Parts: sequence; structure tokens; C-alpha cells
Amino acid sequence: MGKKKSEVYSVEVNGIKDIETTNEGDGKEKYRGLKDHLGHKKDHQKELKKELDLDDHKLNAKELEDKYGTNIIRGLTSTKAAEILARDGPNALSPPKETSEIIKFLKQMVGGFSILLWAGAVLCWIAFGIQFAKDKSASMDNVYLGFVLALVVIFTGIFAYYQEAKSTNIIASFSKMIPRQALVIRDGEKKEIPAGQLVVGDIVEIKGGDQIPADIRILASHGCKVDNSSLTGESEAQSRSCDFTHENPLETKNIGFYSTTCLEGTATGMVINTGDRTIIGRIASLASGVGNEKTPIAIEIEHFVHIVAGVAVSIGVIFFIIAVSMKYPVLESIIFLIGIIVANVPEGLLAAVTVSLSLTAKRMAKKNCLVKNLEAVETLGSTSIICSDKTGTLTQNRMTVAHLWFDNQIYQADTSEDQEAQIFDQSSATWASLSKIVTLCNRAEFRPGQETVPIMKKIVVGDASETALLKFSEVIMGDIMETRKRNRKVAEIPFNSTNKFQLSIHETDDPNDKRFLLVMKGAPERILEKCSTIMINGQEQPLNESSAEAFQTAYMELGGLGERVLGFCHLYLPEDEFPDTYPFDVETMNFPTSDLCFVGLLSLIDPPRSTVPDAVTKCRSAGIKVIMVTGDHPITAKAIAKSVGIISANSETVEDIAKRLNVPVEQVNKRDAKAAVVNGMELKEMSQEQLDEVLINHTEIVFARTSPQQKLIIVEGCQRQDAVVAVTGDGVNDSPALKKADIGIAMGIAGSDAAKNAADMVLLDDNFASIVTGVEEGRLIFDNLKKTIAFTLTKNIAELCPFLIFIIAGIPLPIGTITILFIDLGTDIIPSIALAYEKAESDIMNRKPRHKKKDRLVNQQLALYSYLHIGILQSLGAFLAYFTVYTEQGFRPTRLIFLRSEWEDGNINDLEDSYGQEWTRYQRKYLEWIGYTSFFVAIMVQQIADLIIRKTRRNSIFQQGLFRNKVIWIGIASQIIIALILSYGFGSITAMNFTTLRVQYWFVAIPYAIVIWLYDEFRKLLIRRYPGSWWDKNMYY
Amino acid sequence: MTKDEKKPLEQTLGEWKRFIYNPGSGEILGRTAESWGLILLFYLAFYGFLAALFTFTMWVMLQTLSDETPKYRDQISSPGLTIVPKPPGALEFSLNISKPATYENYIDAIKEFLREYEGKKQEHLLQCRNGTFFEQDNIFPKKTCKFSLETLGPCSGLNDVNFGYPDGNPCIFVKMNRIIGLRPQGEPRIVCAVKEGTEVNLATFPKDGRLDLMYFPYYGKKLHNSQCLKSGSFLQESATTIKEPGELSTARSCSPGPVSELQPRSVNRM
Repeated sequence: MGKKKSEVYSVEVNGIKDIETTNEGDGKEKYRGLKDHLGHKKDHQKELKKELDLDDHKLNAKELEDKYGTNIIRGLTSTKAAEILARDGPNALSPPKETSEIIKFLKQMVGGFSILLWAGAVLCWIAFGIQFAKDKSASMDNVYLGFVLALVVIFTGIFAYYQEAKSTNIIASFSKMIPRQALVIRDGEKKEIPAGQLVVGDIVEIKGGDQIPADIRILASHGCKVDNSSLTGESEAQSRSCDFTHENPLETKNIGFYSTTCLEGTATGMVINTGDRTIIGRIASLASGVGNEKTPIAIEIEHFVHIVAGVAVSIGVIFFIIAVSMKYPVLESIIFLIGIIVANVPEGLLAAVTVSLSLTAKRMAKKNCLVKNLEAVETLGSTSIICSDKTGTLTQNRMTVAHLWFDNQIYQADTSEDQEAQIFDQSSATWASLSKIVTLCNRAEFRPGQETVPIMKKIVVGDASETALLKFSEVIMGDIMETRKRNRKVAEIPFNSTNKFQLSIHETDDPNDKRFLLVMKGAPERILEKCSTIMINGQEQPLNESSAEAFQTAYMELGGLGERVLGFCHLYLPEDEFPDTYPFDVETMNFPTSDLCFVGLLSLIDPPRSTVPDAVTKCRSAGIKVIMVTGDHPITAKAIAKSVGIISANSETVEDIAKRLNVPVEQVNKRDAKAAVVNGMELKEMSQEQLDEVLINHTEIVFARTSPQQKLIIVEGCQRQDAVVAVTGDGVNDSPALKKADIGIAMGIAGSDAAKNAADMVLLDDNFASIVTGVEEGRLIFDNLKKTIAFTLTKNIAELCPFLIFIIAGIPLPIGTITILFIDLGTDIIPSIALAYEKAESDIMNRKPRHKKKDRLVNQQLALYSYLHIGILQSLGAFLAYFTVYTEQGFRPTRLIFLRSEWEDGNINDLEDSYGQEWTRYQRKYLEWIGYTSFFVAIMVQQIADLIIRKTRRNSIFQQGLFRNKVIWIGIASQIIIALILSYGFGSITAMNFTTLRVQYWFVAIPYAIVIWLYDEFRKLLIRRYPGSWWDKNMYY
Repeated sequence: MTKDEKKPLEQTLGEWKRFIYNPGSGEILGRTAESWGLILLFYLAFYGFLAALFTFTMWVMLQTLSDETPKYRDQISSPGLTIVPKPPGALEFSLNISKPATYENYIDAIKEFLREYEGKKQEHLLQCRNGTFFEQDNIFPKKTCKFSLETLGPCSGLNDVNFGYPDGNPCIFVKMNRIIGLRPQGEPRIVCAVKEGTEVNLATFPKDGRLDLMYFPYYGKKLHNSQCLKSGSFLQESATTIKEPGELSTARSCSPGPVSELQPRSVNRM
């Protein structure tokens, strides 16, 4: 898949000679590691054992035929295949167990505040039941209220469910890719069938580029090489043949694994396992065994719900007791209790939070972060450690020529993504020769029909290094295919690991020159061995000590950069010895392969994406630790880490210090080293404490040569430090780590389906920089959610106070329960969502990630400031409006106090006001509704002020700009319009308790709105003026 | 991870104890004494300011009002009617003349209602001219007109202390609510009609349920400081008696006719 292609040439610089030797042992260790690790999960232990019981690799063809009832030549019969398909099911990984839709829906119905509201609704009905039993003419108000409450719960539940389903659907559509096809032999005929239809016993053919469609036992192979990286993390290509080479089914060469890629060659194999029974399938199912942690925002919201519900219930109960002890009938006290709960619960808030999150998710999707789980939006923002893959995420995932060495000089090549020309000095005659070798000694070819595609994007048939060289030369010299045609190839020896070189012999395009040109490239030291001369400035010079040393220095330097170095040499074959008709034979090598002329070195690297260094710097300033976890070689890993800034330019590893001070590694104080490069082997030996120590002591860490299983260990290590860990991954084996991480990020292009399933987020462009934009969005939404919540909580006090004063001072009820719901779910909804569009107040990428346990979404300051400052101010403004209405109609405040029992007594039809006029109960009721409406309008007006002050938490509104967030103004308009409609449009519908209102009553609360704004500006001013002061600590939320 | 593990009870208790009083930092409920002092001081000042602000805004609002008449009277533009006695629940009287317990409450309520109109209490009141508004815009203090119970005929309680209840001819009083400045046009009266059922003998007092214009207009409690006690001294009262034979009087509704152009809206709901 997206992993680096075959490692054709190995780099052998001092100290890293052990690659090949470690490979084998390493591989085995990894499986053991996997086993050990997964062994902890009891349920899966058996499964894994079964996996290792696989013995098909030991059987010969005949035994296999018998075992699976198939025929190697003719394949299964269609009927038999259909039978097995019916028995085993399709050959596909079963998606992770989804909670059933009903359960999901019910969860929404009982989550959050729903329980509280259900309780309210039920209490309403019970109260009505009792009233009705006592008096058949009892008012239906409580029944309506109960239904409204139930409707609120059901609608917000449906809404949240719908939002979640919508975001799940995005991913579902995304993962439904075009079904893969498999070439299978059935009934003696070759057929293309969807890979999902394969069954055990099928004979399949695979060729280079295919994904292996199931676990297969190789029956015949033609230079078949596979990339098992998605299984083992090993990016080296492994050859596959029909020989039984190892007891361990994972090691033997005659088994090909489901979902791994065939890189080159062809093979025929028999399907031995399908679907979930494949090795990959079993590992993928293990991912579901790793617990899915609650997201930080879910914890925060839960915390907040607890606070609000706690406040609601305790105030409710306290006032229930007060009401009862004030000799109110119990039934009425219950109705007060309901009112208090409804007033206290921000019914619309959770919906607003969901919408805010999904808006951010949409914004992130535009920036190539596809969020599967809405809550993950914020998780990304609180991330404190990112464990990133190297290949493809930090790098471009393609080999590119980075440096050249000729004429005793190192030249740097352009490695950016969209290069169109190379600007190094190309005037030397040596370059002319070198370019010719690079062009000719290369088997890679552009796929035809891509004339219009930019060179760097053209598809090439060939391995990674050759592709890099081909593109490199195409960029500099133009039409390479044409050049090759003019220099016809007469013989060729492809690369193999024993020779470690590749050569080809060409006619030259110079009509006067009848000599053949022999060109060769390969591992530099092998090439140098074959040379006796070296070309300097176009002149062949004998290869002496000093030039050999220059070569060594250059080789070491380039190798030290983690680059893959290739040597190039050539030889013009003398015309007399090798005439036109000379029969070149590559088997006998009837041509010279020594005393060649060394021309130069090219070094290749998978270069970092150009956006990554910036992104890493941003992470650093944002206090996020970036840890690189790669299966690659430490030197390469370190070089890339350095070039992208994961290891900063001036920091050293323990080894670096040792080298600089010339002391053994053991004598270096580990704490002096900022950076650390940890090898997978070392990691295996480490105890948990040692790993913790590494993670704590070093700020810049690279894990190299790690297996995907070790990723899980690293993630757990990070989580032990209380960090919120983001992990990127693409392979199936990454899925446990992705699941375990606080936020798993799968690669959209290179990622396997299993990884995408396990992840919370999919990176559509595989680019690390996209993660950083995601972090920014995540942090912004956290801040904005704070604002939304602060905005929403404020008016709860203004809704609650009326009830409390109603109970204690016995005034006519200032605002009805249904009216409250119209604020919570009507006027306040759009404004609270509008706050999600607020821009950041300062550079949010310049502060530390929030501490999971200390920086809460709803902290004490936020609650106190909303409830006890702005909330109280709002209540006063609303009460002013209320008293104004009553007083102007004849009931002065003094008359209102303790008027309640008479006011509500339906038998009194001549209640006297302050002026001696008499009011019937219906006139009073209507006046009460005017009171509700004016109270409602007063809250609405002050909520506009509240909305404006909530735009910022620290900056002045003028610093933030009143008009930058246009949605706020839509929100304000919506508040006013909804209020107007309710008052003037529905004023005549009695059940709604709204009335038309005199124009001036809309303005009564405006002085308070202004005071709210001034007070908040004052608060912010002091916070800015005196950071760290008592005021800052108590007033900044 | 650890968050899944239930904390042992002692630990939770310990945490709570430490929260209530932390001997290490001297914190009570999460704050030191000094911190508590500061925060309380702040809230004292802040709420002091808020109280002042509210008082001030209320004061400003009250300044805009007149002591004599409320700013708006639109909610009571038409006066409501009050029925005495008030039956429990809906407006349905149900009584059994052979069981005094079913109507004794009614009689008591009526007695209570009429007490204010007893001759003694009205001695100092003005004998006004019938049939015209008693305009006294420039007269201070405002005077109140006498209401003579005699106009209520058999329902006056002067002759029949039981208001006809034991005879099955119960008296029901309908009173018009006081509204400042109300001047009915024409001849205001309350019309009673039989809602359904058989012919009922229905009589209204004063004659035709007329409301005398001399009781209008009302100038408000402050100016119109009548000695009359409880409800509407100068008497928009009109008493109506439903004379009905038979033991039980059920579901009779009395709806007032047009009181000139004033159509008491509240009555419609009665």
C-alpha cells in the first residue's frame, strides 16, 4: 500500500550494518511482542493460538487439494464455491459491532438532561392526575406542560441522533470503496469475481500491484514480492515462493496474507482463509477488544451536566421544602419544583453543542480532516502528544533525489512536491555522463498516455528508487523515453541482492561513435570496487587514495543524512573488441564488469512534505509534543525528524553527546539530552518505568524500527503521563493503537479499512499539516463552547429567580414554564450556535494544550460569573420590566407582595389593585401573561447584550470586532424576530401564554443590557491589566 | 484506565473531608479564610451596587406614575361582574331546600356582602340625584353616593333574612367591578335570561337590573376615599333574584344584557 516500496539497495554505513541481520530476529520478536501484548486480552488468547496452528504451509499440493476439496488446475466448481460461500460467509472483514440504531436512539433519549425533563413531565402528569381526581374541572395546563417537556426531550433526542447519524454516514460512504476484484480459477476457467466472493479452496492468481484478496498458500510464484508492512510494519519487500521455509506460518515464504500488496511478479495461490478468519481479520477484531476511551469533551459535557443537574435538583428540593414549610399544598409545591427544574436546565444547550461540533467537523472536513465521531473534534484540540507515522504523513511517500556528488562536490537537489526544474550547476561534463547513466540504467517507465500530467504526478511502473531517478532525469532532461530509444539497450542485468548492482549496455546516440556504453548503478561501495578510474570535470583520472577518501567522506555524509545512496559508473566498450554484432550474454557476463569509470553518487530520500516543518513548529509553540514512530531505520528517521523539526537543530541525543564528548554512551547523563532516538529493539527491552522515563525526560523523541504493535505500548506510555494522545496510522496492525489513542487518525489515502474503522478521524490527504489545522479548530471550538455555555447558563438565573421570588414573596408568577421553554428552545438557539463561528481571541496555537483534569469546560469561574453576576443582573432587568407592567396597570409592587393566594384564587372576581379598581380572574390572568411576555422580552433583550459580551473572554469587544462574526448578527436578528412573532403573531393563542406588548415595554430592560455590557468590559479590562491578580483568577473563565 | 475504577469509599470521604477543611492549606470549602473574606467582600460590594441600581431604576419608573389613576386601564376597559354568593367550582348552584346545610354558606356570604350597605354605615353618605353621572372632578374630597338596600326588594335582607333560599327562590347578587373613570352610556343594566329548560320565574332588582348612573364615575382609591369599606361602596351593585319554584334550583345562568355599549367581556366567561 502506501508504504515505501521495496528497499532495493541497502545503505551500509558504519554502525548500521545490522539491518539485515536484525530484520529476521526483529520480525520474529515482533510477532512475539504481538502475542505477548494481545495475550493480556483473555478472550483472544485462544484465537491467536488457533492462528498459529495453521499448518497449510507445511502441506504439499496434493494434501492441500485433499484438504480443501479443490483442484489446483481447474479450481473449485461454481456450485461447490457457492456452497462454501454460504457456509463461511463472504470474504470481507466484518465491520466492528455497531450498537443498534434503537439503542443509539434510546441513549439520546435518556442522556444529558433528558432524565431530568422526563421526571418533570411525569411529575406534571401525576400532578394533573391528582388535581383531576380532586376536581374534574382542573386546568389542563399541567398536561400541556408535561407534553411540551416530553416533546422537548424527544425532539432534542431525535436531533442529536440525526446529527450523529449524519456524521457516521459520511464515513460509511467513504469506506464503501469500489469492491476489489480477484482473478480466480473456477470450473477450469479464469474469471474476475469480486474479492468478497472468494472461498476457501479457490485458486487465485495475483500479479504486481494487486492486493492479496485472502490468506493464500502460494502454489507457484514468478518473482513474486509482497509488502507485508500493513501486517508487520516491515517496509522491506519480501519474496514469496511455494517453498516451505519456516515453521511459523507468519515467517514462511509460501503464505501470502490478506490485504498485503503484491509488489511485483506473479503468483498462483490457494485460498486457505477468508474474511475474519484471516490473520489480518483476527488482528482487526482485536482492535475491538481495546476499550474505547470516553472523549475528553464527552467527559466535560458530562461534568457540566452534573453541575447543572445538581444545581437544578438541589435548588428544586430546597424550595420544595421551603414551599411545603410555608404551608403551600404539596401538589403546588411539586409544580414549583417542575418550574424550577425547567428554569434551571438549559434545554437547548446540548443541541447547540452538537450543532457547533458538527459545524466544526464540516469545517475540518474542508481542511481534509474527516471526523467520524463528532466529539473527536474537540479531542484533537486538547491533544498534547501526537504520535505520527513518518512515511506518507511527515514525508511525501515517494523517493526523490536529494543530493548528488560528482566532481568531488555535493550538490543539493530540489525535493519539493511540485518541482519543475533543478537548479544545481549542470555545466560540468561529469554531469553529462552521470545524467546519461541515470537515464539509461533504469528500468522504470512512465505509463503511457500521461502527456498532460505534470512530471511529478505521472504514474511510473518500477520501484521507488528507479521512479525517483526517472522523474529526476525527466525533469532535467525532458523526454527520457525518447532518449532511451535513441540509445537502444542491447543487454541488461537487473538488480539482485547478491550483486547489489544493476547494469545495462546500450548503443550510443552519437552516429560517429560505434562503441557500446556500459552503465551501472548500485550500492556505492560495490560500484567503487569495480572502478579503477574516476571522472573529474569530464576527465577520467585514476582512482587514487585521495579520491577514494573523498568518495568515502561524501558517502558517509549522505548516508548520515539518512539517505539511500547509489553509485554510478560507466564504461565505453572498445569498438574493436565489441563490434556491432557482439552477442552480449548476461548469464556468462562476456563483457567487462571491472575497471570501470566512477562518475558520481546520487542519494535518495523520501523527503518531508514541504508543509510539515511549519506544522511541527506550530505544534511546538502550541505545546504539543510530536513523537515520530516509524518502522524505518533510525538514521533515516532521525534525519527526517531533524529536517522537519521534530528534533530541533541544536538538540542532541545521548549518542550525539557521547560522540561529541568522546565518552561511552553510558557515561552521559540522559537528562542532558533533549532528543532521543529509540530503536524498536531497545523499546522491547524497556520496562514500563523506563519507557515512562524516556517519555518524560526527552522532549523530542523518535521511535525507529518499531512494529505497529509497539505503537500501542508507546500510546499507553503517553497516556500514563496524563497526555491526550493522537496517533496516526494506516496499517491493519495500527488499529489497536488507533483505538487506544484518545484520537486515532487514519490515513485516507494509504490507510486500510480496518485502520479507518478504528480511527476517530480520517486524514484525507495523509498530511501531517492537516492535523495541525485540526488541532487549531479543536481548540477554537473548546473556547467557543465555553462561550456558548456561558451564554446559555446566564439566563437560567433570570428564569429561576421568578420562581423563587414567586414562592417566597408571593407575587404573581413573573414567567411561565412554557415561556421559559420558548427562550431556551426559541430565541436562544441560533445565538448560541452563532458563537461557534467566533474567531479566536488570540493565537490559540501559542498556548499549552489544556490539561485534561484542570482546564474544565465549565469551571467554577464560568458558573459563578454566569449565574451570580450576569444572571443576577439579567434577573433585575427582567423584574424591572415585570414591575413596570404591573405598576402601570395598577398593581404597585407593594400591592403585589403576598398577593399570590388571592391573585390565583379563581373565586375572587373583584380583586382590588392599588387604585381601588377591581379585577376579575380572567383580567388578572391576561395581565399575568403580559407580565410573562414582558419578562420574556426583557430576558431576550439582555441576552442580546449577553451574546455580545460572550464573543470574547479576555479581549474587549472592540479588539475582537463587532462585525467580524456575521452569524452573531443573524443570531441577534433571530432573537428579535422570534420574540416579535411570539408576541404579535401568537399573542392571541392562549395556550402559549404570550400577549401583544406595548412598544415601550420592549425597551425597559435596555439600561440593564447596557450595564451588562459595561460591567463585562470592565471585567475584561481588569483581567488584561492585571494578569494573575485576584480578579484574573476569580473572573476569567 | 484509572477513571474506570471505583474509588474506595474512604478515599471519597477523605477527599470530601479535605474539601470541607484542608488542614494543610487552611482551606475551607476550597478557599482560604482570606480568599473567602475577599470574595464575600466583593459580592457584598457588587450586590450592594446592584441593589442600588435596581432601587434607582424602580424609583425612576415609579416617578412616571400618577398616584390617582394607573397609567393604563386597557386590561380592564370593560368592567367585570362579580357574583355573590360564589358557588364552588363552576358557576352552578345546587341546593336542596330540605337540607339547609346546602345553602347556609350562601346566606352567610350574602349577609357578609350586604353588611357594608347597612343603613348605619351609609349615614354620612350623600344622597345623590338618580339617573345622572355624579361628576365631581373639581370637588375634593370626592363624595360617595348612598345605596339604599330597599331597591333590592325581597333580596334586600331587610324582610327575608334568608334571601329566599329555604323557599327555593334564592337571591343571587351580581356586582359590577369598579373601574376608574368609567361612564356608561345610555342606561346600564344587567339582563338575566334563562339558559335552558323550562320556564323559570326570574325577577331582577332594582327594576330591570338597572345600574344607576349616579354611581359613576369612580375616581380611584386615593381621591375617592369613601368610608365605605370593603367592596365598591357607591354601588354599582345590582341584585337579581331568581325566583324559581321547586325544590332544586340547578344550572340557571344569568347573563347581563347590554349595559349601554359596555359589554363586560368577563361575563362571557362566567
